[in-house]
Amino acid sequence: MGSVEDDVTKVIYKFYDALEDLLRSRGTASMVEIWHHTEYATTSHPFGSWARGWTEVKVNWDEGAAVFDSYDGHANRSDRIGGIYDLKVVVLGDAAYGTGIYRSKLYMSDRELNLSLNCTNILHRIDGVWKIVHHHADQAQPDWQEAIGRMVGAGHS
Amino acid sequence: MPNAPHSAANVGSDAGGFRVLGGGDGNLRIAAWGYWPAEVISAFLASATSAAQSLAPAGVFVFDTKDLKPQGAEGQEALRVLFRALARLPFAKGLIIRGNAMTCMQLTRLLRECEVDRRIEFADTQAFGS
Repeated sequence: MGSVEDDVTKVIYKFYDALEDLLRSRGTASMVEIWHHTEYATTSHPFGSWARGWTEVKVNWDEGAAVFDSYDGHANRSDRIGGIYDLKVVVLGDAAYGTGIYRSKLYMSDRELNLSLNCTNILHRIDGVWKIVHHHADQAQPDWQEAIGRMVGAGHS
Repeated sequence: MPNAPHSAANVGSDAGGFRVLGGGDGNLRIAAWGYWPAEVISAFLASATSAAQSLAPAGVFVFDTKDLKPQGAEGQEALRVLFRALARLPFAKGLIIRGNAMTCMQLTRLLRECEVDRRIEFADTQAFGS
């Protein structure tokens, strides 16, 4: 039986597995599952502003999935698009947070697109179950956002 | 009265709503903000699409979305109804004033789906001068 820190760490890694599912057009079910669906849920992504409350949070993940429906750079590749590195977890009773660096690589038609962002995830334990209630990623650099915007406009990567 | 001026009254609340300004001069400006609840979506469907009919062939359509959040399925469908109506209408220029990057990507996708993306371009608030 692992420590509470181990439990929290596993949830955060599952969150990034859910993000990988979303980016690879495998749906949002795993992302929906990893969150507590509360009014105090909040999220902010590498592009866009704050979403506050589960309804807005869910819409933001749905839109993220719609954005990456246009991406096909990993169609014939087995490597991950991204993952969390240097993850540090702190547990304070029924609340916990993790800080780390999310790194990703997208294969666009004209170049590789790399991302490296500081991220924070806050978890809440409700009825013994740890889930995410807050996600914050730094804003991506402007050229990354512009490339993603062009992909959405064109409908392909 | 499809060509009558439309009111500039806000619909909704600070959390989510819209305002239509248009009519007499053949131009149409819609400002939208926040996340729309069901009653705002219904009102938008009723008023924005009918206001679009007031656009003249030489008119300019401006959609101010600098404070608009990404919308859920029903809100997106209301936006599609407006964009499909615009796709059938002649107008000189279409501008979307952008804000939230995620909203911008959602609108980009909806414009493409409604085949009006080549007629409506994005502009920054500063560039538009408002």
